[in-house]
Order: sequence, then C-alpha cells, then structure tokens
Amino acid sequence: MAAIAETPTPPAPKRRRSRRETRNDGGSALSTYGLLAPMLIVLSLFFLAPLYYIFLFSVALKRFSPTDALASLNGELNAFSGELWTKLVSVDVKVMLPGLNFDVPVIVVGIVFVVLLLVAVTASRIPEYGSWIVGVAFVLLLAPFLTFPAGNNLVRLVELSSEGQYMRLFFKSVSMAMTSSVAAVLIAIPVAYFLAFCIGKSKYTWLLIVIAPFLTSYLLRVFAWKVILGDQGLINSGLTAIGVIDQPLTFLIYSQFTVIVVLTYAWVPFICLPIFLSFETIDRRLLEAAMDLGATRMQAFRKISLPIIAPGIVAAFLFVFIPSIGEYITPTLVGGTQGTMYGQSLANQFVGGAFNWQFGSAMALFLLGVVLLLTFATARFLRAGGGGL
Amino acid sequence: MNENMTRKGFVALTGATSLAAFLAACGGSSSDSGSSAAGSGDAQADGITAEESAAASTFDPASEPGGPIEIFTWAGYDDSPKDGLPIMWEQYQKGEYNSASPLKFTFLEDDQQALAKVASGYAPDIIHPCIAYTQQWKDAGLIQPLALDLLPDWAGIPEAVKAGGVIDGVAYHMPFDVGFSCLTYDADVINFDKVGGEESWEVLLDDTFKGRMALFSDDVAIIKIGHLINKGAVDPNVMTQEEIDAAKATALKIKPNLRNYWTSQTDTVNDFVNGNLDATYTWPDGYWKIKNHPKMKDRNIKYMQPTQGRLAWVCGMVLSAATKQPGRASMAMASADTPVAAAALTDLFQYAAGQQNGVMDLIKDKALVKAFQIDDPTAWAPPNAWFEAPLPNYKDFVSAGEEVKSA
Repeated sequence: MAAIAETPTPPAPKRRRSRRETRNDGGSALSTYGLLAPMLIVLSLFFLAPLYYIFLFSVALKRFSPTDALASLNGELNAFSGELWTKLVSVDVKVMLPGLNFDVPVIVVGIVFVVLLLVAVTASRIPEYGSWIVGVAFVLLLAPFLTFPAGNNLVRLVELSSEGQYMRLFFKSVSMAMTSSVAAVLIAIPVAYFLAFCIGKSKYTWLLIVIAPFLTSYLLRVFAWKVILGDQGLINSGLTAIGVIDQPLTFLIYSQFTVIVVLTYAWVPFICLPIFLSFETIDRRLLEAAMDLGATRMQAFRKISLPIIAPGIVAAFLFVFIPSIGEYITPTLVGGTQGTMYGQSLANQFVGGAFNWQFGSAMALFLLGVVLLLTFATARFLRAGGGGL
Repeated sequence: MNENMTRKGFVALTGATSLAAFLAACGGSSSDSGSSAAGSGDAQADGITAEESAAASTFDPASEPGGPIEIFTWAGYDDSPKDGLPIMWEQYQKGEYNSASPLKFTFLEDDQQALAKVASGYAPDIIHPCIAYTQQWKDAGLIQPLALDLLPDWAGIPEAVKAGGVIDGVAYHMPFDVGFSCLTYDADVINFDKVGGEESWEVLLDDTFKGRMALFSDDVAIIKIGHLINKGAVDPNVMTQEEIDAAKATALKIKPNLRNYWTSQTDTVNDFVNGNLDATYTWPDGYWKIKNHPKMKDRNIKYMQPTQGRLAWVCGMVLSAATKQPGRASMAMASADTPVAAAALTDLFQYAAGQQNGVMDLIKDKALVKAFQIDDPTAWAPPNAWFEAPLPNYKDFVSAGEEVKSA
C-alpha cells in the first residue's frame, strides 16, 4: 500500500487546445471584464479624477483661482508648505477621564485608534480569548464617542485646545455620527428580527412598509422632526397638556440631540434591509435545535443568530456612520448653535464665508482618509468572518 | 491579443482608456477655463479705466444673443406680483427684450456665500451683493463697470449712498435696497425698563432668555455685535485683531443663550411667531412680518434701537463680468432703479431705497415711513446706525465668526 501511495501520479497528458477553444476563453474573459469597464471608467472620471484635484489643491500644488486677485481673496497658497495640514491636525487633544485629565497630540490619538482598529479586525485569530479582545477593542473604539441626550458622557474626549477648532469639530461629528449609528443599529435589529421571524408570508410587504420613509424626500423627513420636536411641537405640547412639564424641553430642537435623533431616524429604514437579509440566511433548524437542547430565546439569539448576523450589523453600522460623519443638511436645519458638524465647516470653505478651497480640500482629504481606513478595517473584519463573535 | 488578455492587462487597458479620456476632458476644460479667465482678465484690463468707464455705455442690447438674464438675488426679490402692486422688474418685463431674454431668478443666502459661489464658476448676469463687498467683487474680477447711459434714473440715487460702490471714479454698484439689521423682540417678555429703559445688544448676554434668542449666521455680523457690546457706540467696521479676538470672546459668551444661527429669515420669523423665540435678528421686513402676524396681535413686538446703534446696510445690483448680455442686463437693472420700483420696495419689503427721486410721495403706506424713520437722516447715521463698509481685515472677521459658530 505504501509503495502504491508513494508512486507519483503521472502527469495528465497535455492536450493541445483548439483555436476555437482559446478564442472562446479570450472572448469570455473580455465579456466578463467588459462588464466592469463602465464602472472603472466612471470611477476614474468621477471619483479618482476629483480626488486627484482635491489632493493637488490640498498640498497647494495647484491653484483653483484663475486670477491672482481671486487667489489672494481666496487665501490660496502658492506652494506646498504644510501650513494647511498643520492648521488641521497639529493640535492637542484634551483627554478627560474620570479623575484624570491630560493633553496628547492628535497624532497620538490617531495612532491609538488605528492600533485599536487593527486589533479589532485581527484579534479573532487569537485562540480562546480572540473574541473577547475583539469586543474590548470595539468598546474602547466606541466608548469615547458615545453621546447621551443631555450631553452626559461616560468616557469621552471632550475638548481640544483652542486653536484646534476643526479637529474639535471632527471629533464632535464622529461622536454624533457614532451615537446615531449605534442607535440606528440597535433599533433596526429587533425590527429586522421581527420581520424575519415573526411574520409569515407578508414579511416582504412589511419590509417595504418599513423602508417606505426612505423613499421620501430627505428634506421633508428632517422638517417633519421640526414639527415633532419644536417648542410648540407634538412632544412638548403633549407633555404640557398632561401636566408633565410647564415649560418646553428646549434641548429637543436645535441641539446635538436633535441631530442625532434625525440621523438615527433617517437611516433606520435603510439599514433594516441588510440586517433583515442576514437574519434570512439563518438556518431555522439551528435555532430549533438550540431550543430543543434547552436554550432560551435570548441564548439562541446570542449563540447562533448574533454571530451569523454580525457582518450585516457591521455593514449596517458603516452605512450609517460614513454618510453621517460628513453630514451637512441635518445639522444646518436642526442643529442650532450646538449641533454644528464637520461637514458644515467643510462646505463653508467652498461655498461660504471662509472661502478657502485649499483648506477645504485638506479637510475633505482628511475625512476621506478616515472613511477609507474604516472601510478597509470593516472589509477585513467581514473577511475574517465577523470577528468570530 | 484576445488570447493573452489577463485581468491585470484588462484593468490596465481600461485604466489607460479612462486616463486618456480624463486627460482629454481636462485639457478641454483647462483650456476653456484658461480662455475664460483670460477673457475676463482682458475685459478687466481693457475696460476698467475711469475714462473709459465714463463712456462705457457701449453695450448694444439689440445685438445681444438672447437667452435668460439670470439675477442672483435675495429670496423674495423675484418677479411674483404682490397685492397687485407694481414690481421692481415690471418696466423690463413690459419692454421689447423680455421675450427673447426673460428674467430668471436664483437666490443667495448671504454676501460671503454669493461671492464664493460666483468665484467658483457660477455665472449669473446680475448679482445683488451689499455695497461693502464691491471692492472684493471688483478685485476678484467678477464684475464690470455699470453702463450708466442705460440707467436713466442713476442721478436719483444720492452721491453719499452710491459712493461705496464707486472705485477709482468708476461705478460698479447700483444701490437698490437700504435697511437696518437689528433685534426684533417681544417687549412683553424682554422688558428693558427693568434695566434702565435703554435697549441694548447686551440683552444677548442675559441668560434669562437662554434658548429664546437667535442671530443671523453671518460671520461678520456675529463679530460686529460682539464688538458693539464690548465697546459701545463705536464703528464696528474698524477693528484691530485684539478687538476682533475680544469680540469673538463676547460672541462665544452669547452663543449658549442662542437657539440658533439662522440662515433663512423666513425660518426665524416662523420660529418667532410660533412662540419659540423672544428675540431674533431681522431686517425690517422680518420685523414687520412678525409684528403683523395674526399670532402676534396681542404681543408688544418692537424693533430694537440699541444704545450701541443698529447695524445697517446698502445692497444693490452689480453687472457680472461674465454676462453675455450686458446691455439687456443693464436695462433690467434700470427697471429696478425707477422711483416706482423704489416705492414698491418700501411698500412690499419695508426697506428704504437707494433711489430717492420723488419716492416718498409714491410710497402708499405712510406708516412705514414713520415706523422705519425712512425720512429721518439721523436715524440712518452714526451712532444710531452703522452702515457696512469695506473691511480690510475681512478674513479675520470671517475666521473669528467661523470659530464662534463651530465652537
């Protein structure tokens, strides 16, 4: 047997491919790649090209203004000096922990977060404690940014030095986007669960009903909240009518809270879809088996459903977080004096009073870099099977 | 070639194709923008001396190509008739060129946004900035001298009013609307009698009204108000960097008391009449709308005359350097410069007008003349009012205002 096992397998005789077969392969490859061509061309023209120009503007290698007078008004630099980037990122971050306040350079904060992100996406390979390490890394990534309605924070980076207004605004935007993303996911999970498991044949009709608000104008949806949360709005009037309050709750409108609520509401219908699809992939027999073996509903959810839907949850989180971090319309309409976000400041560099395309480009590139990093990390996380949760 | 096509090869080929297309597009676009910039530069270089400007009315409306005349103006100044009263563009719309070159309106939010937008490539025919920004528009090469021979009522605008729009003896700005910027407030809630009876911008620092006041999101105005509070009745157009920093600090103290920095006066008027505000920064029409709103009929609504002085402005029309129909655009501007249009400006918008030739007699609602002291020059002069003026350190004002808003 051993002799037989050691006998090398003779190589299969090479068969000469006919010209027709070769032509077919080539044609097949071309037609397959041909499907990609429009996307690649569109990507090049409408993403890479603007990106290229934004990069040139941001390092002052190209000027936007066609005349010197306009460039002077615009405050454009003539050559790269690092000034724009220094203005953006060379600030200290004031870290405020319970009983412990200290300043660290923003670059250090950036490195810490990149390391945490790498740990979060790779630690699942570590045997035994992998999933715990992933969990802790995620908590450390999320906790500093979670905002609560009245502005109370658990552990949070709350202040930057006075010259760091843009970085401070960036962290504030991350905080608001992070909070609304987490809230949206937490709301969407039970909705999607209900649709997937508790409704029979009509679940797709219900799914359509759930995502229906997403099909209406975004502006309308934001304005609707002004009616609900205003001083004379539904909530304040209702609470006043039943005697709970005698003065309107002013934090309900024109505040960070309002922006977070509106962003959460705006994205919940959209992210129900990926989470619902994740639930749909679960083999019901696994859940039945778990219940037969004595698991409670919650145990079955935690041990079986959650690991399977984890990629869907992470994707849903990212779907909310990425557009929210650069939000412009919502904070403009309902943000008030406290709800200003990074996107507004960025827009103001291009079409507002600040009027500085170069600095706006630097701000845009910075935001893009953060988003790309998160996307990359998420892709790694998903490829690793959802972190082994 | 097909036989050996790999994925890498294909992507490279597609990339090369895209790059070629992109470069071709860029080539076209840069040469276009280059020629456009050169063109406007040439226009500036060729046509902007004082001597030539005097005779700069060489536009021939009859030979112009036609197409819409785009007017980039403040919301509300479109051609919708109101209450059957004449409108400011009526003369042009009844004229011979209206069918070939009809007026089209787009709306700006504030001067800074308008300047940034036009500088970024938006090319309307007529723009409606405030006079203090004329120098910046001119320096940026975005406007051209007015064709005075096509503005028959030009002489009816007092020299003092149009002076800010004349640079090196050349007129670039046709004053149109003149008004105050100040706080409209509910005197039943905010009672200045309790603090000496004198109205003051300092009310913004009073946290009794926290969350019940609002300001315009204009960076410059935010800083000027801070300066008026700090220094009293002194010209807020002249500020050192230290004074700007101090004004910024005051504006930061005001901020927690504000409900919002509004970008649309309509929004803040709605907020006020719905009971969400006790004081808000408005122009005269905003005050008038609030005062006469049915929900406010039992309230004592006032337009503040602070001890430090109101802010005031002159806005008007400039002729875009990029317009292809300068003659017809000038004729449209002329229609807004007539005494009838000026009177309508007061009757419809509660503003005073740049044009003052016989306008008082044409104003139908004489109560407005009294309410806004349109016939009282002292109300429109320091220390009662501080008109906007060109700011040499404009960027510093904007930067400080931005910092306040983003704090």
